[in-house]
Amino acid sequence: MELFLQQVFNGIMFGSTYAIVALGLTLVMGILNIPNFAHGHLYMLGGYVTYFFFATLGLGFWLSLLASMIILGMVGVVMERVVFRPLTGQPPINDFIAAIGSLVFLEAFALAVWGPQGLRITNPYPETFQFLGITMTVQRVLVIVAAAALIVGLHFFMKKTVLGATIEAVAQNREGAMLTGINVNRVSAITFAISTATAALAASFLSPIFMLSPSMGAILGMKAFIIVILGGLGSIPGAILGGYILGLIEALGGGYVSAAYKNVFAFGALILILSIKPTGLFGKKEA
Amino acid sequence: MLKLNQVHTNIGGMQIIQDISLEIQKGEFVALLGSNGSGKTTLFRTIAGVLKPKIGTVEFDHVGIHRLPVHKIVELGLVLCPQGRQLFPELSVEKNLILGAYPLRSDKTRIRKNMDRVFEFFPILKERLHQHAGTFSGGEQQMLAIGRSLMSEPKLLLLDEPSVGLAPLIVKLIGEVIASISHEMKTTVFLSEQNANMALNITQRGYVLENGRCVLSGQCSDLKQDEKVRKAYIGA
Repeated sequence: MELFLQQVFNGIMFGSTYAIVALGLTLVMGILNIPNFAHGHLYMLGGYVTYFFFATLGLGFWLSLLASMIILGMVGVVMERVVFRPLTGQPPINDFIAAIGSLVFLEAFALAVWGPQGLRITNPYPETFQFLGITMTVQRVLVIVAAAALIVGLHFFMKKTVLGATIEAVAQNREGAMLTGINVNRVSAITFAISTATAALAASFLSPIFMLSPSMGAILGMKAFIIVILGGLGSIPGAILGGYILGLIEALGGGYVSAAYKNVFAFGALILILSIKPTGLFGKKEA
Repeated sequence: MLKLNQVHTNIGGMQIIQDISLEIQKGEFVALLGSNGSGKTTLFRTIAGVLKPKIGTVEFDHVGIHRLPVHKIVELGLVLCPQGRQLFPELSVEKNLILGAYPLRSDKTRIRKNMDRVFEFFPILKERLHQHAGTFSGGEQQMLAIGRSLMSEPKLLLLDEPSVGLAPLIVKLIGEVIASISHEMKTTVFLSEQNANMALNITQRGYVLENGRCVLSGQCSDLKQDEKVRKAYIGA
């Protein structure tokens, strides 16, 4: 029972991160109509920027996190402007290639600046406590709470503000949005900023728990991609639920069978769900 | 109010609009007639700024708008209610209308007032305020599309084939609403139609488009008598 609860706790923590990263991916996918393959690498860059402010400059954890979110938000705006916007109206394959080019660039950039060895920031909240017989660290609880707060906040932003509504409008009908007077380019830039800033948030919270390495973006980006397909392309609730499901599958599979098979369970679940429901959990009938 | 000067528009290297010049005065109600593929939609998309003319100029209130982005043109008061409606299918009626008033977004009372006026034209939209636009029938979607385009109080409204694919009863209702938009709201209306009967009965004058060229123009009473128009568009 304790092993089970411990794994569920870990699963929810992983799932929180996955949910946030997948949420950012799905938001941008709605706008661009293609997955931003570099999303996992932007997450990686967010982790390193936090490391830079926290470990190199010696700012506090929360200040470093904020700085990382702001800088990554700006990276998102620049990326939309110089990488994707010039490709508007061109075949989708060009966006694919541009996204892959960006991820190669980001990984090489991190490698050049911070080197290949793993880095870790000191855990600002290393205290542990017992709850229901399982051991929790404050940092891990913080990951779960922050993710939940971010998801609720984003939900209200999307559903209750005009700016949030414009993001949905552009995703649902780009030309219709233009014709109502929405500046579609501005909405794209804002969506990118939200997507990259939230990825930086997820990376910042996890950087005291896991090693940072230039290659960490690739596997996370791949998983975010699985989650988005699992949840149904372009579906926000699907991305959130899919994130938690993947986290739980990995943690339970890893805990009961072997941690080495973690990714086997993740990809196995994807194949299983897609064979039963090809459009994903929240997918529309027609893509 | 609107002035086109020798406008040519290409799509994918094909010349769709050729040498069109026309002028619409404030308060006029003008029809654009033409069969399928004659270039009506392309012409409207060029005026609204979705497409850019290859040659020629588009002036709105004496300002050249043919190089402006679409949202700037909307802010100036020129709104296109597009063919295919281009609604936001997974947003409610209410949000579709609120987004229609995007240029007025800071003025909540004006948005409220405009929404009430849209409900006067189309009471069914009020009953379905929280329903998603994508669940609507074609006629209801067309009503919502017209309603959305009125939300920003356009000075000039371009309506691209609002009657296409709709039942005769709905066409009649929509025709009446468009006529009252023109008369009561003092909005200048440019209406594109294949349904020449409906269009010529409510508008004052019209242009006839054929293969991307303007082949005929004049008062509606004259156009109705024209042999070519009768043969091609009225079927009499």
